[in-house]
Amino acid sequence: MKETIKVTLSLVVIFIAAGLIMGGTYMKTSPVRYIAEQKEKKEALQKLAPEADESSFAKEKRKDWDLHGKKHEYYEAKKGDAIVAYIAETAGKGYSSHIQMLVSVDGSLNIKDVNILHHGETPGLGDQVEDRKLFLDQFIGKGLSQLVLIKGETKENIQAITGATISSRAVTNGVRDAVQMLVDTYGSGVKSAAAGDKPAHEVKHEHR
Amino acid sequence: MSTDSVNYGQIFKNGVFGENPVFRLALSLCPAVAVTSGVKNGTLMGVAVLFVMVMVNATVSLIRNFINPKVRIPSYMFIIATWVTVTDLVMAAYARDVYKQMGLYIMLIVAFAIVLSRAEVFAMKNKLIPSMVDGAAMGLGFLLALALIGVFREFLGKGALWGVQILSVKPLPIMILPAGGFFAMGLIMGFLNWIDRKYFGGTGASSGGH
Repeated sequence: MKETIKVTLSLVVIFIAAGLIMGGTYMKTSPVRYIAEQKEKKEALQKLAPEADESSFAKEKRKDWDLHGKKHEYYEAKKGDAIVAYIAETAGKGYSSHIQMLVSVDGSLNIKDVNILHHGETPGLGDQVEDRKLFLDQFIGKGLSQLVLIKGETKENIQAITGATISSRAVTNGVRDAVQMLVDTYGSGVKSAAAGDKPAHEVKHEHR
Repeated sequence: MSTDSVNYGQIFKNGVFGENPVFRLALSLCPAVAVTSGVKNGTLMGVAVLFVMVMVNATVSLIRNFINPKVRIPSYMFIIATWVTVTDLVMAAYARDVYKQMGLYIMLIVAFAIVLSRAEVFAMKNKLIPSMVDGAAMGLGFLLALALIGVFREFLGKGALWGVQILSVKPLPIMILPAGGFFAMGLIMGFLNWIDRKYFGGTGASSGGH
């Protein structure tokens, strides 16, 4: 009985000490982290539309859209009164995390750039989606109907990374959801072009 | 076991060669396969492990008389989890650039057998400084092993080293896939055993004695 109490006490003390250390560290670091992340997001937004006025990304100019039941933001990047780009936050469910991205499209709703903000995919496999040359640059210039993931060579659509199909698909789906939303919102003029061939479905032989 | 004259050189030699975590003890092979598709990944993972191992060994050694032997494993787990979490949080706030490179690896360390194993085998029985040196030596051995597998795999699989393209062809693309990780590790381990037997009269890997 005495032994049991001793064992319990020893563990409890270690657990409490560890809990206090972790809690204290979290309290100290989380505000710094939040500020740093907000700053990074702002920089990422500005990098996606360098010619836009900074005020385009101000808090009161944000708009919300729903994706997988979560609110994401989107912005109209303006220079004066002219729209230079639409930028949307989006996410796709990858192998071991939600991949969070920013997508920018030009006035005719073709993709200008895709920027991955945060992900927790497997190092060495899934994290290759961050590789611009290998993967991300494929999106530039593509329109909604082209956002289809293909396993194998393609110039017209999006080519999956060997060994990282799930992560590739997550990015492609996230980007497509965002572009779809932007087309639905702003696409009155260009909708007819995209309406012909509905995008939506991945090529059938593409299985995991 | 804790004598006053500790041979630090011996501890380092032991960590890097004699009891190399991957090639000799055959511990933590899962991360050794998962993150070594490139030299850079392997090295960064190694650096993260080295740091955590030094801190965990130091903590365990400091409170080794307080830890109740009957519940030492849960105690180690909590110490490891604490250090990993603290490292993750601090890096995420104050070292954003490094965190973007290494953040993915940090959380994986919680489950590494090698960290737990050194806490039990070494830190629990030794004083603070030798324990920290052992953590550093084992961490270094792990880092070098991962880097070596990384060189092998990245060069054969992508024709590149540290992300820099060297060959214009990809000699053996399977090497960057998980299966290639097993091939690479097995071949390197076999090669090292062969050298050990032939030139040093060793008996090959200890097949996970610990």
